[in-house]
Amino acid sequence: MKKYLPAIVAGFGAGVLHVVPLTKALTCCLVVPLAAVAAIMLEQKAEKFFGEFPLKRGLVLGLLTGAFAALFGSFFDILITFITKTNDILLALNELNTAIETLPLADQVKEDTLNLMHSVAEQIRETGFSPLYAFGITFNNLIVDAIFGTIGGLIGTKVLNARNSKVQ
Amino acid sequence: MSFTRKKIVEFSLFLLILFWCIGIFWEVVYHFYPNAVIYLPILKYNYSIVCHTEPEKLFNIFHFNSLTCSRCTGIYFGGLFSSMIVLFSSLKTISLRLFLLSSVPMFLDVILYSSGIYTYSKYFALFTGLLLGSVGFLYIHNSIIELLNKPEGKN
Repeated sequence: MKKYLPAIVAGFGAGVLHVVPLTKALTCCLVVPLAAVAAIMLEQKAEKFFGEFPLKRGLVLGLLTGAFAALFGSFFDILITFITKTNDILLALNELNTAIETLPLADQVKEDTLNLMHSVAEQIRETGFSPLYAFGITFNNLIVDAIFGTIGGLIGTKVLNARNSKVQ
Repeated sequence: MSFTRKKIVEFSLFLLILFWCIGIFWEVVYHFYPNAVIYLPILKYNYSIVCHTEPEKLFNIFHFNSLTCSRCTGIYFGGLFSSMIVLFSSLKTISLRLFLLSSVPMFLDVILYSSGIYTYSKYFALFTGLLLGSVGFLYIHNSIIELLNKPEGKN
């Protein structure tokens, strides 16, 4: 468990920032990569190891940070949706309705798409929870955050190694 | 690592970024293939994970909006451009200094327009993103190749 602590701590931070609109607007796609760098720094401090940090370890730590950020971020998103009974999907539904109506789609496709979206929206409005929505965002977050965490882990390891070699 | 294996890794990276970039302009895709609109909500959510997607900052081409902001669009298309370059050339290394330097215009732009010194420009955001994306990809590519070149147990 101790081995994963830096990834959990940094992932938790990124998960929280995922749902705060102001930080999201400022940091954009940098939240998860920066969390991965923070995880590597935490690991270095915890182990009092300031030599060359192995690139593979940085990559794994970045990947784990991304995965934890996705899990925490999804949990907070689902929790906020459950409490407020609304989310971005509901707000975007009207826009999507208009977009679909203007397209030269087969009636069956139009109907299926709108039915699916409306059933998700209805569940959220009534109970604050939709299994499809919960699964969808967790799955999406896991894939995207894992990729961005890995990138952050790779870049972070190289940047920190360069800094440490200067200090030594 | 053999030349073929290196090229397979590079081609996979190129394909991954290419699909990501196609998704950014999904409005163009569903204009030509209307049935593709059913993927729009999923893609919109996907890109909202990594970008604020504020409507006034979306990049616009022939009345089609991107699903990410101008800066992020620049970063990903810069990455796509560089992934194509490495496919057809044998680029050596990119220094950390060059990578950090390429991020300076982007951070300066964010700081200057956020503090109200000038107004947000989509084109400048796109350009600073392109710069960081293209150099950033080369730096990440170097790291991946370095990682794959290291013998087992030495990572």
